Amino acid sequence: MNYDIGQPIKHFLLILGAIIVILPFYSMISYSFQSQGEIETGKNSKGEKAGFLGTQEKIVDQFCFKSNTPEKEEVNSLMLKMPGKTEREVYNILLKNVTENCLKKPAFMNYTQAFTKAPLLRYLLNGVIVTASIFLLQVVVALPAAYALAKLRFVGREFIFTLVLLCLLIPIHAVALPLYIMLAKLGLTNSYAALIIPWTISVFGIFLMRQFFMTVPDDYIDAGRMDGMSEFSIIWRVMLPTAVPALLAFAIFSVVAHWNDYFWPRVVITGDPDLFTPPLGMRVFKQDTEGDLHGPMMAVAVTIVTPLIVAFLIAQKRFIEGITFSGMK
Amino acid sequence: MNSQRAHYWFVSPALILMLLIFGIPIAIAIFLSFTDYSLGNKTFEFVGFENYFKIFTRSSYEKMWGATLRYVIVVVPLTVGLGLGAALLINSITRFSEIYKTIYFLPVMATLMAMAIVWQVMLHPTAGSINRLLSSGCEIDYIYNLFTLSFVGQEASESWYGSICNGNMPNWLGDKKYAIWVVCFVGVWQGFGFNMVLYLAGLTSVSRELYMAAEMDGAKSGWERFKLVTWPALGPTTVFVVTISFIKAFQVFDIVEAFYGFGSAGPSKTAYVMMFAIFEKGIKQNLIGVGAAISVIFLILVLSITLIQRFLVERKVHYS
Repeated sequence: MNYDIGQPIKHFLLILGAIIVILPFYSMISYSFQSQGEIETGKNSKGEKAGFLGTQEKIVDQFCFKSNTPEKEEVNSLMLKMPGKTEREVYNILLKNVTENCLKKPAFMNYTQAFTKAPLLRYLLNGVIVTASIFLLQVVVALPAAYALAKLRFVGREFIFTLVLLCLLIPIHAVALPLYIMLAKLGLTNSYAALIIPWTISVFGIFLMRQFFMTVPDDYIDAGRMDGMSEFSIIWRVMLPTAVPALLAFAIFSVVAHWNDYFWPRVVITGDPDLFTPPLGMRVFKQDTEGDLHGPMMAVAVTIVTPLIVAFLIAQKRFIEGITFSGMK
Repeated sequence: MNSQRAHYWFVSPALILMLLIFGIPIAIAIFLSFTDYSLGNKTFEFVGFENYFKIFTRSSYEKMWGATLRYVIVVVPLTVGLGLGAALLINSITRFSEIYKTIYFLPVMATLMAMAIVWQVMLHPTAGSINRLLSSGCEIDYIYNLFTLSFVGQEASESWYGSICNGNMPNWLGDKKYAIWVVCFVGVWQGFGFNMVLYLAGLTSVSRELYMAAEMDGAKSGWERFKLVTWPALGPTTVFVVTISFIKAFQVFDIVEAFYGFGSAGPSKTAYVMMFAIFEKGIKQNLIGVGAAISVIFLILVLSITLIQRFLVERKVHYS
């Protein structure tokens, strides 16, 4: 290998880019561990640099404090047990207790607030329900159609395939408004159905699977027919097993797109928090806390982003393949 | 199931759904764009091209075009250029290429809504880490001299960085001077990794022999080899990458909602992008006629871009 003067320069440029790309991920994770003060100043209470994990100095959880502030009755009942003390003194004793009980490590506080200030678990569950339903329905609709377009001969096949290619050109954003009107007329806004139905047809899925099925030898299908299999069971028992790699790529493409989608849920879900998907929940969390609870907000962000990022780091090759499959159209 | 008829059963669900989700809505959008329809109203009137006329003449839509075109014109070349640059660099290094690839692809996978909010926290005018970094540079002489350009004799206090050091910290998201460009920046940050991966796939198809042949023909420098071999061979990839980047850029929405959203589109509406306009007019203000007209214009834009792409592909942009 010749010594190449260009290599260090190339690495320098790539590292520079990598730093900018990673910066928000680093900040997001770091902030999710830190107290509001550390996030805002980058320093802890002693004026030292806070570092990646923050100093984890215990701070008072304001929500805990507010909901446990001593009441008049508590003060009165304690005054009976402590003769000789003024009301003020008793009150201060109680206040001190509450403050101590509400002292928490920022990391712990941020993540508990993330899950309690908003129904984050519900959002995550909704995300799973919606992405899984979309993918399953897309497969149920697309596989038979792709099989028919690739392997069966019938009048109008070319026409239908042309329609598929035509629909491939239409971004869903262009039909979002009329779709919203249709769903509103049917009384379906604010429902899982509204989140799922517009995505049940993936023309890209049909196209991808058709291209893949074209390469499956006819002998396989003929053998299935000889065995007396119906066309229907040929799809699920002969074609599907051969299509696993293509299907996996499509699954990744579909799940990533719909877990991260914000536009469509924003259009059809107008107030019922039980139906919020993770990105919509994140946006509403920011709104409700007026963007002031940076630590908990970052904890929400970490929670939402982590599942896909971890899956991606485990199976990078497949993910990059799956996402760039959309580059085939 | 009668296997002679099986195809009906297989194709009809897809056909019906294509009609319901693409066909009919497009027809509805075109129809409504010529009316003054509002959801809940029993009647509506035909207004001809009035909605379209408004979109091209009224000043509030001027903001929409301004924001959308700024975003598209900045983000498309940058995501394509950086995608290509990263791919070429990664393709030519001997070690660690997988690591860079993974890192650059991270933003593509991450929920944009969440990451845009992270950027917002970092860009906070007083508490954000970006401005903290900028102000800490003020105290270091050589950085101050470098960024204020005073090392070439510029008046330090008159420069952009100089005024920052004098206490005018930029309000990245709240100042209309910066708002749309910050939205662009996050768009580029998020998008170029995707293009990089497409270019890397394109680069694997460039044959080694072509480089050898070019070298024999006297293409000694890397730039000449790029001009002679790589760039032409990447023609089809580039056409595709540019097309998809255009379409994605017209769809920008999440970043604006993350930064401003829920009623506002940035200072003086400087980030009033097209999708935001469709959402605001069509759904929030229930001005469905106008919303539908913007949708139709958007569809026409996307289709024309695709037609141009097809035209270029037909003309065979690939020379290999």
